[in-house]
Amino acid sequence: MNSEGTSAAKIADSTICWSCGVPSGSGHFCEACGKIQPLARETNHFAFLGLPRKLTIDPEALERRFHQLSWKLHPDNFTRASECEREMALARSSQLNDAFRALRDPVSRVEYLLSSAGMRREGQHKQQAPPELLEEVFELNESLDELREGRPSDGGAARNSEETAAVRRKLEAARLNFEDRLGQVDGELERLFSKWDKTLAAGGVTPGAGDEQKKLMARMNETLNRRSYIRNLVASVQKELEEA
Amino acid sequence: MGRTVGIDLGTTYSLIAYLDQAAGRPGCIPGPLGDTLCPSVVSVDADGSIVVGEAARSRLLTQPARTIYSVKRLMGRGVADVQSELKIFPFRIDAGSQNVIRVRLGEKVFTPPEISSFILKELKSWAERFFRESVDRAVITVPAYFNDAQRQATKDAGRLAGLEVLRLVNEPTAAALAYGLHEQRRGRVAVYDFGGGTFDISILKLISTGEGDIYQVLATNGDTHLGGDDLDNQLLAMARNEIRIRHGLDLEQHPETVQELRKALIAAKHELSFAERAAVLMPLPDGSTYVREFSRAEFEGMVQPILDRTMGPVQMALADAGLKAADIDEVVLVGGSTRVPLVRRMVEQFFRRRPHAELNPDEVVALGAAIQADILESGVKNMLLLDVTPLSLGIETMGGVVAKIIPRNSTIPASAQEMFTTGVDNQTGIDIHVLQGERELAADCRSLARFQLRVPPGPAGLARVEVKFLIDASGILQVSARDLKSSQEQSVEVQPSYGLTDAEIEHMLEESIENAERDFNVRQVIEARVEAEAILRATEKSLSELAAASGGPAGSPELPAEERHAVDAAITALRSAMAGDDYTLIRARVDELNKATMPLAERMMNRVLSSALSGKRVSDI
Ligand SMILES: Nc1ncnc2c1ncn2[C@@H]1O[C@H](COP(=O)(O)OP(=O)(O)OP(=O)(O)O)[C@@H](O)[C@H]1O
Ligand SMILES: [Mg+2]
Ligand SMILES: [Zn+2]
Repeated sequence: MNSEGTSAAKIADSTICWSCGVPSGSGHFCEACGKIQPLARETNHFAFLGLPRKLTIDPEALERRFHQLSWKLHPDNFTRASECEREMALARSSQLNDAFRALRDPVSRVEYLLSSAGMRREGQHKQQAPPELLEEVFELNESLDELREGRPSDGGAARNSEETAAVRRKLEAARLNFEDRLGQVDGELERLFSKWDKTLAAGGVTPGAGDEQKKLMARMNETLNRRSYIRNLVASVQKELEEA
Repeated sequence: MGRTVGIDLGTTYSLIAYLDQAAGRPGCIPGPLGDTLCPSVVSVDADGSIVVGEAARSRLLTQPARTIYSVKRLMGRGVADVQSELKIFPFRIDAGSQNVIRVRLGEKVFTPPEISSFILKELKSWAERFFRESVDRAVITVPAYFNDAQRQATKDAGRLAGLEVLRLVNEPTAAALAYGLHEQRRGRVAVYDFGGGTFDISILKLISTGEGDIYQVLATNGDTHLGGDDLDNQLLAMARNEIRIRHGLDLEQHPETVQELRKALIAAKHELSFAERAAVLMPLPDGSTYVREFSRAEFEGMVQPILDRTMGPVQMALADAGLKAADIDEVVLVGGSTRVPLVRRMVEQFFRRRPHAELNPDEVVALGAAIQADILESGVKNMLLLDVTPLSLGIETMGGVVAKIIPRNSTIPASAQEMFTTGVDNQTGIDIHVLQGERELAADCRSLARFQLRVPPGPAGLARVEVKFLIDASGILQVSARDLKSSQEQSVEVQPSYGLTDAEIEHMLEESIENAERDFNVRQVIEARVEAEAILRATEKSLSELAAASGGPAGSPELPAEERHAVDAAITALRSAMAGDDYTLIRARVDELNKATMPLAERMMNRVLSSALSGKRVSDI
């Protein structure tokens, strides 16, 4: 079974209202008669929430927006509406929840931005260390091996507690180091976010902004891959430490 | 259109509640015995009639093979799932059970949704008696940690009971709704719900906005097979063991005694929530008596391992909400088992905060359901509940690995769209397997459903079918598919892994309607016959009194011959109608007899006769 991500399409600017037959505007409800409108099959989360595709988002403002729209779109409002309106509300309120879930966390936000633009490429060699980390990863693996050897259950002779404690200290240090790296990557992402937001603001007027955006997306994609590699490292060290 | 109610369909007790518009607050509706708690026990008589509630509970002792309790444990589960419970619960699973369990009760076999529908029908009748109006729409609560199959089974039960289920609401969330209304709380709330059969923990955020209050669930976790039942079973296992050792008696062959013993132990458990000691005195089949005294400390030592199992889910829920115990502003206790003092101590110690238990823990869930029912019914918009799905939704991919498409604790409704294509040339179908759970492998998750997408034959990888998975506000999955090449919506026939198909439910509904019709007919015939008998008796009595008074059988001035003949003919016609099953015919003949005796009645002084002949009701004579 194969599956692929979906690609984004812009919400239609204005369509004819199913209920009153007048152009309904591009909102959730008809501007003329106030009836809920059907959801275009592929609606971008940013557009749905009425936000520009900026990556720096004030979390509190986002949550307020989510709550505002929840009051209007939640199925509770439509229990007595017609079957087709109930379906529209279900589609819109699920999209609202999906959008909030995708955009509230910065990492899933940029992942969504990239995949909706067809620019998210998970590394082909997910297990391969980024070059600048090779040395440290090599050291880490050594310590992990030592720790495993020290475990009687693995057949190795039980070693004295001092040696084990030494390995543990090394691992703790490694974990701190990688957590630090993770922080650096997050900082990098943040810088890319503000660059992105600037090009977006310049978007319509600056020639070549499209290319600039593509380049930025590629860099964000690469940074995300590095991030997920380091995160996995931290998790596995954590796991080994807990088991030891 | 009838009334809308809120129902707590519990493992041990069920309740029905409504929003009292005049008082502006919810209330539980009492049954005929005046109690608001309806034991979730169902018993089936030899003649097929169904007994529910307190009456059924007393039959646990007299007719255990016809009676079932804790059926909620079987909802939405397969035979393989319940094997371990069968050792503890006296469920008689029918050998014919497959992906839906079938339970034997006396001569008949029922699915868990059918048995639950009997409980719902009973509650519905309580409410209809209370309102003197039909009740046809309901909000029903479910444990927050119920999976899709368990939710669907609950919804099916509602449908089988003749209720339109407007929404399933999670029990802890319903409780929070009731508390919020009661206490006007704000902030972060943990609801610890430990009932008869299930444990739930939900972490909520209460937010005031310009439009009103939002109850947003941040995370939920639990165990759908952990509750007071397990404490009871622990006590029961211990007592049976002691009886085996001390009395040399195996209770295996004495199911009635086991039920008596269970009842006594539960009473002792309840007592220990208030007293330091409790005792059990149990006459045994061999004439001896099992005597046992418990101290609270001993009880606590015995059940501590079971109660400890609630703390894992609590920690998981907090972690998923991104919070620590200290971040919680209020803790709310729900469910009868939170009366156990040790539970309160554990919760208080963990959160370092005295938990709330001001509202009756038995009623609070039903009260919350009634509030939600009112929100849905009247559209009063000053409260909004945003709940989450408790388990991740995934689809099986290559190698039996699960790809998660909707993570657990996503606000519902939630959806995910996935694109599918063919793997080999001229493939005409793509099989999809939907699962729920947190594990990596399909084999370790809960299978929800399978279906096949149809694709026109063509080269591999050319087809494009988009499938939309949507979890609705009740936490139930809907699937729709669209062929992107042809832009055609495709209907998907989802085969539930552990549930009734639509066709099966339709069939059950038809059967129950047929049964109801048959029952109705039988009752009408019986009532018509009883009425006819009474009229015949009264007529004959009058005739003989008249005959005695006039000194001869016929031709008296009070009773002319042709009138007498008309009456005799009507009597004969009625008797022959009474031999048959046609109650409308019986009624018609009763009317004719009444008419034939009318002139007679006018002349009659006899009070009994005149009252009988003027067509008074049997009960008035
Ligand atoms: N005083 C008490 N002390 C200890 N346990 C009690 C007490 N009163 C009731 N219980 C237990 O509470 C349980 C019933 O609680 P409750 O009515 O909340 O559950 P339920 O709603 O039927 O079940 P669930 O919510 O799990 O489906 C039973 O196991 C009962 O023995
Ligand atoms: Mg309950
Ligand atoms: Zn309109």
